[in-house]
Amino acid sequence: MALPLKYNVRNVLVRWRTTLFTVLGIGAVVLVFLGLRALARGIESTNANTGDPRNLLVVRKGSQAESGSLVTRDQFRTLRDLPGIARNEQGEPVVSAEIVMIVSAPRRDGNGEANTLIRGITPRGMELRPQVTLVEGRWFRPGQREVVVSTRMARRFAGFELGGTIKAGPERLKVVGQFDGQGSAFDSEAWMDADEARAVFDREQYSSVLLRPADPLTVSNLIARIDSDKRLALRAESEVGYYSKQTMTATPINYLAGILGTAMSVGAVFAAMNTMYASVGARTREIGTLRVLGYSRRSIVLCFLIEGALLALLGGLLGCLSAWLIQVGLTTFNVTFGTLDFQSFAETVFQFRVTPDLMLLGLLFSLFIGLAGSLLPALRAARLPVISALKSL
Amino acid sequence: MAAEPIVAIRELSKVYQQGEINVTALNEVSVDIHEGEFVVLMGPSGSGKSTLLHIIAGIDRATKGSVLVQGINVANLNESELADWRNQNVGFVFQSFNLIPVLTAAENVELPLLLTSLGRAERRRQVALALELVGLGDRGHHRPDQMSGGQQQRVAIARALVTDPTLIVADEPTGNLDAKSASDVLTILQSLSRVSKKTVIMVTHDPKAAHFGTRSLHLEKGEIVAD
Amino acid sequence: MNLPTFVLKNALRNRRRALLTIISVAISCGLLVTLLTLQRELTIPPESEAASLRIIARNKVSLAQPLPAKQLAVIERIPGIVAVTPFTFFGGNFRDETVTSFAQFAVDPKRFQGLLVEGKIVDGSYDAFVADRTSCLVGADTMKRYGLKIGDRMKFTGTFFPVDLDLKILAVFQGTVDDRGVFFHHKLLDELNGDPGTVGTWYMRVESAEVSNEVIARVNAAFENTAAEVRAETERAFQMGFVSMLGNVKMLVMLISGAVVFTLMLVTISTMSMAIRERFRELAVLKALGFQRRELFAFILAESFGLAVVGAVVGIGGAWGLWTHLDLQKLTSGFLLYFEVTPRIMAWGAAVAAVMGLVSAIPPAVETARMSVTEGLKTLD
Repeated sequence: MALPLKYNVRNVLVRWRTTLFTVLGIGAVVLVFLGLRALARGIESTNANTGDPRNLLVVRKGSQAESGSLVTRDQFRTLRDLPGIARNEQGEPVVSAEIVMIVSAPRRDGNGEANTLIRGITPRGMELRPQVTLVEGRWFRPGQREVVVSTRMARRFAGFELGGTIKAGPERLKVVGQFDGQGSAFDSEAWMDADEARAVFDREQYSSVLLRPADPLTVSNLIARIDSDKRLALRAESEVGYYSKQTMTATPINYLAGILGTAMSVGAVFAAMNTMYASVGARTREIGTLRVLGYSRRSIVLCFLIEGALLALLGGLLGCLSAWLIQVGLTTFNVTFGTLDFQSFAETVFQFRVTPDLMLLGLLFSLFIGLAGSLLPALRAARLPVISALKSL
Repeated sequence: MAAEPIVAIRELSKVYQQGEINVTALNEVSVDIHEGEFVVLMGPSGSGKSTLLHIIAGIDRATKGSVLVQGINVANLNESELADWRNQNVGFVFQSFNLIPVLTAAENVELPLLLTSLGRAERRRQVALALELVGLGDRGHHRPDQMSGGQQQRVAIARALVTDPTLIVADEPTGNLDAKSASDVLTILQSLSRVSKKTVIMVTHDPKAAHFGTRSLHLEKGEIVAD
Repeated sequence: MNLPTFVLKNALRNRRRALLTIISVAISCGLLVTLLTLQRELTIPPESEAASLRIIARNKVSLAQPLPAKQLAVIERIPGIVAVTPFTFFGGNFRDETVTSFAQFAVDPKRFQGLLVEGKIVDGSYDAFVADRTSCLVGADTMKRYGLKIGDRMKFTGTFFPVDLDLKILAVFQGTVDDRGVFFHHKLLDELNGDPGTVGTWYMRVESAEVSNEVIARVNAAFENTAAEVRAETERAFQMGFVSMLGNVKMLVMLISGAVVFTLMLVTISTMSMAIRERFRELAVLKALGFQRRELFAFILAESFGLAVVGAVVGIGGAWGLWTHLDLQKLTSGFLLYFEVTPRIMAWGAAVAAVMGLVSAIPPAVETARMSVTEGLKTLD
């Protein structure tokens, strides 16, 4: 039989002076953990939010990312003529051969240079990516050294503003427009004409091919056809599937969250333990009285476990709330983060994202701290002799 | 008086280990207590009166001998059976009240009832009745720190009798009270034994308090020297 | 008995509490010292003599853009350069692995010998490696990890290049910062790729540290306004470029350290305050015996400071011991070169511990000052 919950709640609150620091400490542990996880989640969700489920991306067999892939013009022609590819209103196959280039550019905040990804793209390729919309200026003209950059890139890199110039070695590219990729991986790209890009970067070959099968039924046939063609040595995959796998960059951040979270939670468990030991010590007579009234040892253990959990959950809620407020602040002021994507070898731009499941994880994390911290004190409370009710302090 | 005693104590001994010396607190005590009696245990410090009370109430265990309460041998009960037994059969009143500071008077009184199967409405009714009986019907929503010592001790008595136990056990209930409050508390205990036919056992060293009882037992060096 | 013994006896009375407190302080100091050391390592490149002697030149556009092979003739003529080799990252996956777990570079074997100064050939012979176009030179760590021996073949699937490699191990080196790499003939890579006439980067060694900046400027100037402008920098600066690409690392590390320290301070302060609050009854007794407020403060401070100092010694000492005795250079394959816990960083850790000791004495000190003797004797927590 459990004691009423209000008994636990009031006991936590009545000791607010001793519990305040512990609650704040647990809150901060949860915040650091959540904050790092939110950064990793930002990277993951950017990739998860990229691509059209109807598209297939074709890269060279053996290459893990578009930037390391090569597709020859012959291979491209073979792909274009494959049966089962959709055609647009003009009767042209919806296939886009693209080239992905890395250009080192200075950061706007003066923190050195970083790699940026420039995509040489075709009109078909833009049709295949309805996620991307022009928000300022105009699209590039074929045959011109013009680029359109994402608004997020424009904020991060010097020369990426409208009318600015991107330097690629001795070559100059003029920024004529800005697009919005709606939180997708395209927000980390700048686009220009594919043939012009091949000329500027002196590249014979393409990097990848994006295409759309005529109807969903032909998708698996098309993938199998491309995969099995030894002559092609290419690999086809759904565009969505390709991007959702590009999450290697988030892994070390998740590791860091795990390591720091663990190290810090040890400290938090000690704090919770101390608070609960103090609580047990101060309430020796009270515990004895409850035992005299007929409460069993088990209900005393439960009582202190609940109290430790309440204490920690209070901290957990505080941590979640702070993380959420940080997200609101970052969104309001349009703050984004960037890091080197290990697969594309270019800077990827992402947001701080605290999702409900992360918050739940944070609360569970705090609950664990609370229970781990209160187990020993609770057992100690249960071991107190009934006669301690008669001790006068 | 009924022939069957409500508490039958037979050759009860209790030996404490204090450092390297064995201290005999009780030495082969035998006594019968009948229903409706108000027994006052008296004696000097260390005479064993408190130990006897604790063993009867099931919060301490004897070294030897037996205590039968309504035919049940308390010594044979295990930890959790003993906890249930205390809840149903014993109401305890402490010297220092031992109310839970974060709970109101009514909630304190309700505590032992939470271990029973009574519904919320029935519990409320019993709590109101118990508080009424100790003259605190209007103080149910007060916290212990908002009440005087006498009032707190009356709340403690309400908590002791709310489960309608066979025994009410009080350990120096007036030790922390002024004369007026002490007499109020003792009057309540007395009426419990007279009117409600409860068996009350009380430890005290105040001779005035002893006058409220129906029977006095004097202990010295672990033995009953006067009945 | 005097007051210090009284303090000591009291601090040790609740051993469990004292231990928990000391561990809390130790963890926070250890973490802080580690994070500060990491930050120092990442932001202030400790230029070593050998690293400043080696220079890497890449395409100014980006590392991903190749350089024309014909640049070699120009570089060779630049004074101050002792050795130069084409240096192209192959980025292949070994056997059936799906990630590139160690680097492979295409080099000109004859020229590369002048750059492999620290590395000693421990098995096979360098001449054999030079003589066989399909052979490779392998680091001792990789040999050990995969249980390879001289004469074994290593197969790689290209991820950057559309070709695969099948190399025969003819020499093993040991003694460099990173003993994991595999080096093979650039000629082989050129043949497989149909002689594109390009290289990934140029890797060179200058005659002395004094001329290194001068040489860098000369290399950069030599290709200005050509189709392939280059960016030359010391090997260390080149590595730091990767760190810079990781984003604002310095800020992030600072932010995280700040949060970690703040958190652990809260936690530790709560623990220590509680340890002292437990003494309230004794403090009240002391007050009743006629001790002055000032003496009670000293009593509280002595205990919280004592706990903080022991915790700091354990934590900072532990971090120092760990990072000094672990061969991080090997563990992180040269990414973390020194990871030196400097006296300055240790002083920071100690300062934070001191602040913790001080701050955690405040709440109980204030309450002690306010409490009356009778209240203190009755206090429950």
